[in-house]
Amino acid sequence: MTTTFSRRAALLSAGAGLGLLAAPRLLRAQGSTEITVHYAQPYIYKESYDAILAGFARQEPGIKVNFVTTPNYEEGAQLLLRQATTNQLPDLSYQGFNRLRVFAERGIAQDLTPLLAQEGNPAQQGYTPNLLQLAHFGGMQSGLAYAASNPVCFFNADLVKRAGGDPENFPKDWNGVLELAAKIDKLGDGVEGMWFTWSGDDWMFSALLFGHGGRMLNADETDVGFAGAEGLGALTLIDRMVKQGGMPNLTAAAARQAFAAGKLGMIFQTTAQVRGAVASVGKSFDLRTTEMPVIDAQKGRLPTGGAAGMLTAKDPAKRAAAWKFLRYSTGPEGQAMMVQNTGYLPCNQLAIDEDRYLGAFYRENPLFMPAVRQLPISIPWYAFPGSNSVRVTQTMVDNLARIVEQRATPAQVQADMAAEVRRLLPRKS
Amino acid sequence: MSDATFGLPVAPAKATPAARHARSEAITAWLLSLPAILSYLLLLLLPTLAAVALAFTDYELGADSVRWIGLENFAELWTDRGFRQSFVNTVFYVGVVTPGSILGALVIALLIEAGVRGRTLFRAVFFLPVVSLTVAMASAWQYLLHPTIGPLNGMLRQLGIAGPAWLSDSGMVMWSLAGIGIWENLGFNLVLFLAGLTAIPRELYAAAEVDGARSAWARFRLVTWPLLGPTTLFVLTITMIRSVRVFDTVKVLTQGGPNKASEVLLHSMYQEGFTFFRLGYSAAITLVFLAIVLALMWLQTRVLDKRVHYG
Repeated sequence: MTTTFSRRAALLSAGAGLGLLAAPRLLRAQGSTEITVHYAQPYIYKESYDAILAGFARQEPGIKVNFVTTPNYEEGAQLLLRQATTNQLPDLSYQGFNRLRVFAERGIAQDLTPLLAQEGNPAQQGYTPNLLQLAHFGGMQSGLAYAASNPVCFFNADLVKRAGGDPENFPKDWNGVLELAAKIDKLGDGVEGMWFTWSGDDWMFSALLFGHGGRMLNADETDVGFAGAEGLGALTLIDRMVKQGGMPNLTAAAARQAFAAGKLGMIFQTTAQVRGAVASVGKSFDLRTTEMPVIDAQKGRLPTGGAAGMLTAKDPAKRAAAWKFLRYSTGPEGQAMMVQNTGYLPCNQLAIDEDRYLGAFYRENPLFMPAVRQLPISIPWYAFPGSNSVRVTQTMVDNLARIVEQRATPAQVQADMAAEVRRLLPRKS
Repeated sequence: MSDATFGLPVAPAKATPAARHARSEAITAWLLSLPAILSYLLLLLLPTLAAVALAFTDYELGADSVRWIGLENFAELWTDRGFRQSFVNTVFYVGVVTPGSILGALVIALLIEAGVRGRTLFRAVFFLPVVSLTVAMASAWQYLLHPTIGPLNGMLRQLGIAGPAWLSDSGMVMWSLAGIGIWENLGFNLVLFLAGLTAIPRELYAAAEVDGARSAWARFRLVTWPLLGPTTLFVLTITMIRSVRVFDTVKVLTQGGPNKASEVLLHSMYQEGFTFFRLGYSAAITLVFLAIVLALMWLQTRVLDKRVHYG
């Protein structure tokens, strides 16, 4: 519809010159572009996108944005893959970091490097190499990070005190944490010491592996990287959580419920849960957050979760408009709105560094601070190559369950996990 | 059309009135069933055939090429630990839920039928799980079965028993899911049995008593059970098919974990197709599922049906 109108407008203006009465209206029609933007998890992100759209509309009145949402990342990825086969892709889509690689490898996401280069030095606009790296998959800049998170420790300060610990000086290493968890576990009355979110996907396991300085695959991605000492260290730590920390066998939902009910001393999970935890805990106990215990002070790293926007528009006008929206949403103003409405970490260095954007927010919401302090050691969420990219993570979680249920030793699990993951890696000729 | 339906005598040109009548009636019949036939073709048969075709390819969501790989998907199914586990678990689930919910429903139906008061109340109470949304109910179960803050383990603790982790212990999880399955199916079966019971003529009981069937058990064995045959067969088939289809509770409560201990056929199919994007492989699981359902239906119509209908 828009295209025919503007074609007619072009003919008219060519035929009759610029003095026509209808010209202003036609010109406005010519300048307007409509784009479709997809994002997942509206129950978390809706307010942030609505705020960003309001700001964007003031800056770019000629661009009309229609949102399409999916309840979660999983269905978002399905939607895009389905639409790619029928040529109905939205113009811009925000996807989970760990699924970006699939889109990059299947040629659905576009390389943003040239677009970034047109606007000068990315670092000056807040896109530092570290932040760009978060959405760098399949050998290209497959997206721009929109929202980031890293794992933190949530604890119940009342239980910590009752067990003889000091909430102001929470232990900084795993030995101390496990000792404290054991003490909380002994309080009785159905109180458990700790829970580590090992299930769901490989993200929290990678926190332990990266914490030891390990990696999922070797540098050229031909073999697993967790078959050595770092991998064994990470698996042994889970074993110790069960044996020494008294970690119960719970599903993630059950653990969060137990924590909210004041029956769990500490829970290790993404900082993105801060908002949910505050809402479900209310005033029933003193909820605190702190940094993940340090494993290797030099080499230790943490994974980054979250979402990035990837460009899928083919039509040049829509592509330009979608790029503008992506830039705005990942720019300092957009990121400030995102953080205030979701509790995720900002993905723009200007939003982090300049006090005017988020300084007040973080002073008022100290529970979000540990994740910010962990930013310097955060690295991208590793996504496995090839068509089994997502399947590999399930294999790892299945094997971790064997340790949590104490049905296998860390060494046995390490060997099985390595063998099973190797089978799922793409064969390189 | 009005000619055909009202059967008015029309002057015949060549064909006899009867033949003309029959033909136009046939045309009418086809026209009337055309919408149903079309929707059956478009909504059921074609998608099924597409799924069958997909099962022999390596199609992945978003992949630009599809390769015909023959029986490779099925060969992989055969060696896939996850699939085997989900097959065994589904059989276990059907094996527990079917007898559990049928026997339970039968006993409760007999009790309600024998009782004097509160029939409507009990019927409504036991039927509630059927009309409630499984996903919402699963969340309620999640709380009831919560290992530390759940009421069930709370009660067990009062008795001095340490309750298990109902949904996260790999030895316990299928039993918990089957228990929820029985609860879910019981009410539906109960209503069917109640309907079957009211259809049994009272005189038969009187006659049986005259013939010497004095005990309640004898009356049940000689009158109720045989006459409930058709109902029981229907209940059996529908319960088996419903329990082969178990998905919602698994998806909400366990996601197949821990370590595939609660993986069932439909969840594996969903997982492979929509989480891992392997649509070809997922279609192969669908075919296995389809074969099971068809076999169950065949069992009903060909084998058992002959043995429960009298006269």
